Formats: sequence, C-alpha cells, structure tokens
Amino acid sequence: LSKKVQAIYMWWHRPVIDRELLQSLPNLKVIANSGVGMDHLDLKLISSFGVKMANVPRAVSTSTADAGMALLLASARRLVEVHHIAISSNVDYCEADILGVKVSGATLGIVGMGRIGYKIALRAKAFEMKILYHNRTRRKAQEEQAVGATYCEKIDSLLQQSDFVMVVVSLTPQTRNLIGKRELELMKPTAILINISRGAVVDQEALAMALQTGVIGAAALDVTCPEPLPRLDHPLLKLKNVIITPHLGIKTDKTNYMITEEAVENILAALNGLPMPSEVLPS
Amino acid sequence: MWYHKPVVNKELLQSLPNLRIVASSGVGVDHLDLNLLSSFGVKVSNTPFIVSTDTADLGMALMLASSRRLVEGHEMAVSPDTEYFPADWLGAEVSGATLGIVGMGTIGYKVAERAKGFEMKILYHNRSQRKKEEENAVGAVYCKKIDDLLQQSDFVLLTVNLTPQTHKLIGKRELELMKPTATLINISRGLVVDQDALVEALQNKVIKAAALDVTYPEPLPRDHPLLKLKNVIITPHIGSATKKTRRIMMEEMTESIQAGLAGLPIPHEVL
Repeated sequence: LSKKVQAIYMWWHRPVIDRELLQSLPNLKVIANSGVGMDHLDLKLISSFGVKMANVPRAVSTSTADAGMALLLASARRLVEVHHIAISSNVDYCEADILGVKVSGATLGIVGMGRIGYKIALRAKAFEMKILYHNRTRRKAQEEQAVGATYCEKIDSLLQQSDFVMVVVSLTPQTRNLIGKRELELMKPTAILINISRGAVVDQEALAMALQTGVIGAAALDVTCPEPLPRLDHPLLKLKNVIITPHLGIKTDKTNYMITEEAVENILAALNGLPMPSEVLPS
Repeated sequence: MWYHKPVVNKELLQSLPNLRIVASSGVGVDHLDLNLLSSFGVKVSNTPFIVSTDTADLGMALMLASSRRLVEGHEMAVSPDTEYFPADWLGAEVSGATLGIVGMGTIGYKVAERAKGFEMKILYHNRSQRKKEEENAVGAVYCKKIDDLLQQSDFVLLTVNLTPQTHKLIGKRELELMKPTATLINISRGLVVDQDALVEALQNKVIKAAALDVTYPEPLPRDHPLLKLKNVIITPHIGSATKKTRRIMMEEMTESIQAGLAGLPIPHEVL
C-alpha cells in the first residue's frame, strides 16, 4: 500500500510528517495542507525527498478575517462576560460595571497585512475605524487608500496608538514571541490584543502578567501554545478579561468545502506535473 | 431617567407639582406615556442619535458571535474537561451571507454599512423605502413584504421602534417563514418578538439560533427557557453600553434638563 501513496491531504496537522514516514512512501509526490500556516511542517526535510507542498491561502482568508472581527467585537463589548451575567441565577450587577469599549471610530493596528490582514482592514473600515498596519513590506498606495490604512514602519508606533492590536502574521523564526513584555508595555492600558495567527507569536507568560496587572485592557485569543492550554491552573484560563476560542478561524462549513477544493486543485496539478496554484517552497 | 426608572405614572406626576422635564436615556420612549406627561405640562427628551453606532456595533457583534459559536467555543476552550478540540466542530460563515434588516432607521442603516464590509447581501423591510442613493451606498434591496425578507435571509436583524404596530411583529408565522438555518438577532425591544413562539421555534429547530440584547421583561425570570437553550446568546441590554457613549448621553440629558428648566428650546425634545 505504501508504494501506492502519491499524495497526502493533511487534516489538522495529521499525519505527522517525519523522516520515517517520508522514507516509507517512495512514490509520494505532494503534501497538501488544510490550512494556510505551515509552521508545523519541516519544509526543508520534505523538499529533500522531492515532495512538493501546498497550502490553501485563498480558502481560509475570509472566514479567518470574520473570526478576527468577531473576537474584536466580543472582547470590546465584553460579550462572554455579560452573557453569563444575563443567564446566571445571581442577577445582582451594577450597570456601570459592564460598560465596554467603543469599536466604531477607534484605532485598529493590524500586525501582518497579508491576505487575511487586508480583509480585516476592509471590514474594520466599515466600522469607520482608523487603521494602522505593520508589515515586512509596505502595501501599494491604492491598496492603502482603499482601506484608509497608514503604514507603521516601526511596530512601536502602531502599538502606542492602537485601541485594538490584531496579530495576523505567519509563524516564522522572526515572529516567534513578536509580542512580548516590551511590546505589551508599549500598548495603551485600555488596549485589547487579538491573536488569530499562532500562539507562539505571543509570549504567553508576559501576556498573562500584563492582563493581571492592567498593562493592557483585555485579550481575545483564537490560538494558543499549546492547543488546548493545559487544564491545570493555566493563568490565561482564569482571567475575566480574556476570551479564548478553540482555533475556529477556518471552522465553517463553507470554508471547509473551499479548503478541500483548493487542496485538491493543488494535488491534481502536482500529480499532473503542472504548476501548482499555491505551492509552498522551503525558503 | 436611566433604565426606565423611576416608573412615571399618574401618581408620581401628581406628587411632583413642579416637575418640568423628564430626560430619558437612550432613544426608545416606549416606556413613557407621552400623552399623560403632556397633560401634566411635563416636557420629555431622549438621546436619539448618540446610541446608534454602538447599537449597530452590538448587532454585528451578536451576529458574528452567534454564527461562529463564540460563547460555546470559549466554554470549550476553558472547560476543565476539554482534552482536545474536535475537528468536526463548525460554525456558519457570515461573509457573503444574506442579512435581512427589519427597520431601516438610523441604527438599521448603520448595520447595513457594517454588513457591507463583510460582503453580505442586504435586504430590508421598512415602513417606507429609502432613497435610491442610500440603498445603492450599501447595496440594500427593499422588501415591501416582510415575508420576502424572512424567506431569503440567513440572518434577520430587528431594529424597529416598539409601537402598537410592531408589537409581536415576529411571531409563529414569521418564524416559520424563516429558513431553518437562519438566526434571529434582536436589538430593538423584547416585545417586538413573541417570546413564547420564539422558544418553541428554537426548541423545534424551526430556526437555528437567536441572539437577544433585549427581552421582556429585563431581566428574564431565572427559570425562563430562553436562559437554558444552547443556541441562544443573551446580553443584558448593552446596546449603548460603552464608556464614551454613556458619557455623551449624560451630557445630552443634562443639556436638555438645563434648557427645560430655563424655558429654552429643548435639544432632543420628544413630542
């Protein structure tokens, strides 16, 4: 059977692609990933076996951008907290204690202005948000103007001005712990951090400390490291001002379908020796 | 007045012979008997426009939270029993879906502007049709009959005033016209929806889910079925509950009171 396998379609990081597996599948030609992040794969190793790789950037961007906005709004308006108040048996609360933060007209800083980051900007613009962004490279002028985004060459100036900081970068050696103690201290004490990228982009210990001591206002995390967080006493699980969601960025029926479509496109192209729509190279 | 207190009735008005003005927080005045107040020569003001943006934002927040199962997801992520996140746990996509706005006033229109950013298809039902330029700006299509809106929408969002005409506007008949995959979002007033019919519709999967910032009464009695349904998000009437907006509301109410006491024209007077 192992000689027959020409393609692997990965689902949620399974199977684990290691040297042993690659050696046991001599006719493997392509691995297609059911998401956009490739940080769980050893790209150089896979490439050394002559196996091509693909991700599905087009399929995931819209639902992930929607999830980012959902988390931003939920966190700003304290949705999870107040829902529990609304349904709990103890109804005693003070109206002034459940006030949230205004979203419309606030400043959103997007860290990582790729496909997903740009879709977030399009959505935020509809809320008349002021948009700042930090990226390895600057976007074209028309792209900036279409969403009213201002480039911040230094991440510091984005952090200092933003009411909401949305992290949308890929996980690379450069972005590991991109948001640490220093960055959190640059943020406003009322600011909200939203992470829809990868848990390891944020220094989780520093984040827990910052949330406990009022260095920033709140956080909403669709991704953590690991997933799920260890159940025993992890500080992030207990904080009132944190919303954690189970990596649901791409989890909609529509997107699931589109992911499989895009992955299959890539697999068929690879097996037929044609250019792949979203090949990932090990650079 | 904040949160509809104190209750303004004949007894109260008779006991306050020098009362000149009632400044009510928020835009809705359905809790006030305007004719009664007028007969006592008492003026009324509200804070109509300042609440619109935050309320529209909350409508969007509820739609997104409901469709992506945010509250459920958070519970799963923090529950002591969770060992892994199941791969087949899915929500529904907001972008590209059809939003039906019932009541296209200031708040309804702001919702449409926000929904456009998500490339949603927008239908609306209103007492009167909006101008063409206004419709085109948000890509909204007028549904003269509410039935057409209900049958086509993935999300039905209520932003009407509460009046005798809109009382129980959404009842059994309307819920049955909706898609079984549709979600009802209410940011108007609890009484616009027939709550008993809604409970039945949710229990029998006539519609998929509901997200309610308003109920009747507020708060609901603690044993109410709506509090127990997994497919319902309830928030405690927080449409305008942001620090910035509450501050401005207070400023507007103070302005109205000062003008009322000085016999000057009252900003935001309700006639």
